[in-house]
Amino acid sequence: MAVRYQITLCDGPTCMHKRSKEIDAALERELASRGLSGKVDISLSGCLGMCAKGPIMIVNPGYTIYGGVSENDIPEIVEKHLVRKQPVSRLIIEEDHLYNRFFRVFGDVNFFGRQMRIALRNCGIIDPENLDDYLSVRGYEALAKVLSAMKPEDVIAEVKSSGLRGRGGAGFPTGLKWELTAREESEEKYVICNADEGDPGAFMDRSTIEGDPFSVLEGMIVGGYAVGAHKGIIYIRAEYPLAVKRLEKAIEASRNEGFLGTNILDSGFSFDIEIRLGAGAFVCGEETALIHSIEGHRGMPRPRPPYPSVQGLFDKPTLINNVETWANIPVIILDGAAWFSSIGTEKSKGTKVFAIAGKIKNTGLVEVPMGTTLRQIIFDIGGGIPNGKKFKAVQTGGPSGGCLPEAYLDTKIDYESLAQAGSIMGSGGMIVIDEDSCMVSIARFFLEFTQNESCGKCTPCREGTKRMLEILTRITEGKGAEGDIEKLERLGNMIKKASLCGLGQSAPNPVLSTIRHFRDEYEEHIKERKCRAHFCARLVRYEITDKCAGCAACRKVCPAGAISGIVKNRHEIDQAKCIKCGLCYKTCKFGAINKV
Amino acid sequence: MGNMIKIHINGKPYRVEPGQTIMQAADKLGFHIPRLCYHPKLSIEGACRVCIVEVEGMRNYVASCAYPVSDGMKVRTNTKELRQARRDIIELILDNHPLDCHTCDRDSNCELQRLASSMGIKKRHFEGERKQYDMDISSPSVIRDPNKCILCGRCVRICSEVQKVYNLGHAYRGFKTVVMPAYNMPMAESVCTACGQCINVCPTAAFVEKNVTQELFTKLNDPSVIKVAQVAPSVRAAIGEAFGLAPGAALEQEMTAALKRLGFDYVFDTQFSADLTIMEEASEFLERIQGKGRLPMITSCSSAWMKCLEQFYPDLIENVSTCKSPMSMMGAMVKTYFADRIKKDPAKILSVAVMCCTAKKYEAQRPELMVNGMNATDMVVTTREIAWMIKSAGIDLLHIKPERFDEPLGLSSGAGTIFGATGGVMEAAIRTAYELYTGETLLDIEVEDLRGLKGIKEGKVVMDNKEIRVAVAHGLGNACDLLDIVRKDPARYHFIEIMGCPGGCVGGGGQPYAGINSIPLDEDCLKKRAEALYNLDRNKTIRRSHENPDIQRIYKEFLGRPLSATAHKLLHTHYKAKGPRGITPQVAIGMKG
Amino acid sequence: MVSPLDIVKKKRAEAISRIIGKGYLAPKRVYVGMATCEIAAGSKDVMEVFEKAVRQGLAGVYLSQKGCAGRCNLEPTVEVVEEGRIPVKYGKVTAEMAQQIVERHLKKGETIKDWVIK
Repeated sequence: MAVRYQITLCDGPTCMHKRSKEIDAALERELASRGLSGKVDISLSGCLGMCAKGPIMIVNPGYTIYGGVSENDIPEIVEKHLVRKQPVSRLIIEEDHLYNRFFRVFGDVNFFGRQMRIALRNCGIIDPENLDDYLSVRGYEALAKVLSAMKPEDVIAEVKSSGLRGRGGAGFPTGLKWELTAREESEEKYVICNADEGDPGAFMDRSTIEGDPFSVLEGMIVGGYAVGAHKGIIYIRAEYPLAVKRLEKAIEASRNEGFLGTNILDSGFSFDIEIRLGAGAFVCGEETALIHSIEGHRGMPRPRPPYPSVQGLFDKPTLINNVETWANIPVIILDGAAWFSSIGTEKSKGTKVFAIAGKIKNTGLVEVPMGTTLRQIIFDIGGGIPNGKKFKAVQTGGPSGGCLPEAYLDTKIDYESLAQAGSIMGSGGMIVIDEDSCMVSIARFFLEFTQNESCGKCTPCREGTKRMLEILTRITEGKGAEGDIEKLERLGNMIKKASLCGLGQSAPNPVLSTIRHFRDEYEEHIKERKCRAHFCARLVRYEITDKCAGCAACRKVCPAGAISGIVKNRHEIDQAKCIKCGLCYKTCKFGAINKV
Repeated sequence: MGNMIKIHINGKPYRVEPGQTIMQAADKLGFHIPRLCYHPKLSIEGACRVCIVEVEGMRNYVASCAYPVSDGMKVRTNTKELRQARRDIIELILDNHPLDCHTCDRDSNCELQRLASSMGIKKRHFEGERKQYDMDISSPSVIRDPNKCILCGRCVRICSEVQKVYNLGHAYRGFKTVVMPAYNMPMAESVCTACGQCINVCPTAAFVEKNVTQELFTKLNDPSVIKVAQVAPSVRAAIGEAFGLAPGAALEQEMTAALKRLGFDYVFDTQFSADLTIMEEASEFLERIQGKGRLPMITSCSSAWMKCLEQFYPDLIENVSTCKSPMSMMGAMVKTYFADRIKKDPAKILSVAVMCCTAKKYEAQRPELMVNGMNATDMVVTTREIAWMIKSAGIDLLHIKPERFDEPLGLSSGAGTIFGATGGVMEAAIRTAYELYTGETLLDIEVEDLRGLKGIKEGKVVMDNKEIRVAVAHGLGNACDLLDIVRKDPARYHFIEIMGCPGGCVGGGGQPYAGINSIPLDEDCLKKRAEALYNLDRNKTIRRSHENPDIQRIYKEFLGRPLSATAHKLLHTHYKAKGPRGITPQVAIGMKG
Repeated sequence: MVSPLDIVKKKRAEAISRIIGKGYLAPKRVYVGMATCEIAAGSKDVMEVFEKAVRQGLAGVYLSQKGCAGRCNLEPTVEVVEEGRIPVKYGKVTAEMAQQIVERHLKKGETIKDWVIK
C-alpha cells in the first residue's frame, strides 16, 4: 500500500444521526483486523452538506465520495478501495455543488475539514484575478440560469425560501429586503454592496473579495435583475487596495465577457457596477450613512423609515447587502434554496463566516453552518487556547457585540441565540480572550473605538459613550466609585434604546455584557482596587520576594528610584514611589518580582 | 377624512390622519413632545433624541419627529423610563455645555435652558470632560462659539437647505464633533454670507451676532459727536416681540422716541433712503430696458445676497443694480447732505444703523461704500441689540410717548415701508417705474402676486404695451434656484428682486428670538410682521416714492436728478467676484473670460 | 435561440481550454496565497522564487496565485496539488523554504513533512 489514504467521515448532525460514529468504529475495527491501523488517516469533518445522501465518507487521494455508507459496507470499501485500489462504484455519489469547492484541496486538514464553505467556496482555490478560473468552477452559471429561466419574482421567491438573512450583522431576511425593493415602482433603482468592513480584527469581506471577487459581482447582478435595478455600487474602504484592485479587474473582465454592461448574455437585461471608496469611517457601514457617503455627503446616518428599499441612494429604491450575503446568492440559485435551507438552524439558515482572532491557536477565517457551537469553533476548529492558559470569554460581533463567558460556550451560532446570550452575531468578528485579559479593559477598548467612531450626530451615542468611557477609564485606573456600575448600566441601557443608528444602539453591548457576565471583576476593580488579570497598570503592585538574590539589577533600572537594598540582600520596592512601569519585573532574572 | 387611522397615545385612542409623524399627530392632539433638533422648515435630523417615545412592539425608543404613525400604533410619550431617558439625554448635553447661563447672550431665551428646567434636572450624574474650543470672532456679523453648540444641526441645515450656502458642516467624529465652516475657515474668510439665519435657528448661543451695544452706549455718551440713527422698516415690525408683544405690532413712533431717549440726536428712517433707492433703481431699470445695460436687472438691497452673488454668481454681477442698499444710501446722505444742512463736520457725526440684519454689519465695513474717506455707516446694531439697549437703559418702550422721525431724512412713502417684506422692493419699484415710463400714475398698486411666502414669485406689468416680467425670491436658497433659471433662460425676466432672508427683511438674522411658545422663523410670525408693514403702507397717503416731498427736495437741493453724477458718486457702487480662500466658487464655470 | 445558459457553458468550455493551454494539466500545480494578509506575511517573495524557477525552466509545474484560505497564523501558504495524491499544504513558507520546495518537492517529489499544515 504505497499510497497513504486519508478518509474523511462526515460528522455533521445528520450523518451522526445516521450512525457515522458507528461507521467510524467499524472502520477502525476493520483496519485493525487487517493490520492497517495507523496506516490510514481518518478525520471527522463538519457537515458536508450532503445530508440527504449521508452518511458520507470521502476517500482521498481521488476525492471519492461515498454516500449512504453503512457499517456493513466497510469491509468492502477497505478491501476494494484501500487494498486493491478499486473504488466501490455502487456507493459513489456524484456531486457538483458550488459550495465546499475548497474541500478537495483542504478538506483533510482538521481546521478546514470542520468547516462548510459557501460564501468562501472559491477562496484559496481560484486565481481571483482570472475570470477563466471562476468560469471553470461554474462561475456565472447562476446568473445565466436566472436570465434563462427565472422571472425576477422567481429569484426573489428562491432567495426568500432559502432563509438567507443579512450577514452584515442585523440578520434582516434577505429575500424580504429584495421583495420590498422590487415592489417599489421607480425608473431608477440601485444595488449596493456594503464592503465597508470596519470592525477591529474583522477581515471576512476583505478575504472574500480578495479570494473570489466574482461571486460578489454575480450575486449583485442577480440582485439587480430581481429588483429591477441597472446600476450597482460597491462601497469599499480605501484601506483595502488589493481588494479594490481585484474588484476592478473582475469588473473589467466580466464586462469584456458580457456578464456586465448592456444586454448581459443576450438576455436584454443591462446592469453595471462601479466602485466607491470609503474614507475610513466605521459608521459608513451603517446603510444610511453609507448612502450619504456615496452621495458625497458626510457619512452620517439618518432616521429610518424611510428605509433604503423605499428611499435610498439619490432617493431611489436601493437594495443594500453586505459582501458575504452577496457571495451566498449564486449558491442559493444553483444548489437550490431547498438545499441551502437544510443547512443551519430553524431561524438561521446557511453558514456564517467568522474571523477568529485573539488568544487562540488557529487564528483565521472560519465558515461554519449556523447552529455550530462556540465551543466547536474555538476548540475543535480553533484548537483552543495557546500556552496552557484558561479560556475566559469570547467576544463576538466586534465593537457592537458582547463578551460571553465559559458557561455560554455551548451557545449555538445563530442570530437569536447569540442575542439572547447578550451578544450579537454581528458581521463575524470573534475574539477569544484568556485569563490574562481584564474584562473591564476589554470593554473599555471597544467603547473607546465606538466613541471615536461615533458620527457625532445623536446625543446618546456622542455624549453618552464618552461618559461611559470616562467611568470605565476611572475604574481601570483604580478611581472607581460606588455606583459606577449602576451609572454604566443606566447610560448603557438608555444609549441602546435611544440612539439613532445601529452604532449607538449596540455601542454599550461590550460594557453591558461584561457587567452581566463578569460583574465581580468590575466590583474587584472598584472596591478592592484589584485587577485579577494584572492588566490594569494602575492596579498592579510589584513586590520583591525571597527569591531575590540582591543583584541590584532592578534597583538600577527603576526610573523612579523606588527600589532600595544592599547588594546580595533582598531588595524592596517603595510603593509610594513606584510608577508601575514594570521595568523591574521584566529585568529580574530570578523571577523574584511578583505582580499582584 | 375617510381614511383616518386610529392610534393610541398614552392609553387613549385617537383618530388621526395617516402620512404624518408621531410628533405632528401628537401636536395636533395637544401632546407637546419635548424636542430640540427638530425644526419644521428643515429636514428631519433625528439627532437630539429628546423627542423619543415608546411605540408598542418596538425594541427601542423611536424619534417621534421622524417616525410615521400607522394604524393601531400604541404610543407612550411620558412613561417613567422615557422621562428618565430624556432627562439623561438633556443632562448629557448639559454635561458638555458651559455652565455660564447668567453671562450668556441667550440667558432666559435659550431652548436648552427651558428644556433642562422642564426635565427637572436637579442633580448631575455623569459630569466629565467638556469641549473647549476658541470662539470664532473673525466675522463682523456672526460669532461662532462651538462651546455652546449642542450639535442639533439646525444651523447646518438652514445654511444648506434654506440658504444653499453650505458654509457650515459637521467635522470630526465622536465627542470631538464640531460644527464649522469647511477646513475650519474663520467665518470672515468662509463663504458665510453673514445672513444670520444660523443665529435665528440656534437653540443656544453657539451663533450670535457681534454685539456692539456696550461700544454704542459709550459713544452715545460722547457729547462731541452728533449721534444719528436710521431704522430699517422691519425693525419696527418686530421689536415689540422682544417686549412680549405678539408678532404683528408696529411700534414705529414708540421706537423713535426710545432711540431719542437712548441719546440719539437725530432719528432718521431707512424708509426714506428706500424711497431714494427706488428713484435710482427705477431709473436704472428704465435705462436698461431701453438697451443700456444687461437684463434682467436684479436688486442689490440685501447685503447677504450681495456676498452670495460675488461668491457664487459672479457671472451675474453685471445684472445687479448698481444702487447701494438703502442703509448705505442713508449713511451717504447723512455724511454729506445732512452734514451740510446742519453745518457740521461729517467726521463728527456718528452714523448708526438699527437693522433687522446681521449682514449689514458686514456691509457697513465694505471699503467701496465709503464716502469722502469716511464710513457711511459707523455702527450697525440689530433689532435684538437695540431692544436690549432700550431695556437696559430702563426705557419703557410700550408706554412711551410716540415721536416722529426727524427731518430731513425721516419722511417716507408707503413704498419705502414695504421694503421690509419679500416682494416689497419690486412692488415699490413698479409703482415708480410705471409712472416714470408711461407718464401715468399706477392706480392698482398692491401687487398680490408678489406678496406672501412662496419661494419664487412671478408677476407681469404692462407699461405702454410693453410686458415687463418680474420675479421675486426670498432666502438665498430660493434665490439660487431663481438664478439658475436665469442662467439657463436669461430672457425670461426683466427685473428680479432678491432678499437674502426667508420672508425678506422681516425674517432677518437680527430679529428678536422666538419666545417660549413659538418657533424661530415661524411662517405665521413672518406673515404678521409683513402684514404690519403692509398696514403701515395702507395707512399712508403718500404711497409712491417719487411722491415723497422730501425725496423731491433732496433731488432739487442736492442730487439733481436720478442717476446724475452726484447720485452716481454717492448712491451707486460696484461689485466684484470673490473666490473664498481655500474653496473654489461653486460656479466658477459660469464666469466669463 | 441561444440562451444565456448556453452562452455561459460555451464560455466555460473556452475558459477551461485556455487554462489547460496555460499548462493546468501539468503533473504538479502550485498555488501561492496572495491576499493582503499573505502578502504582508511575505508571500510575494515566495511567489518570486517559484516564478523564477519556472522562468529558469522548471518543467511540469503549473503556477497560480490564489486568495487566502483563512489560516492566518500559518501564512504564507503554498499548496502543491498532484493528481492521485492528497494536496500538500505548506505553511509559514519563506523564500528559502520555497527554494527547498522547488528543489525537493517539485523536482524530486519529496513532501517536506515538517512544513505541512496538519
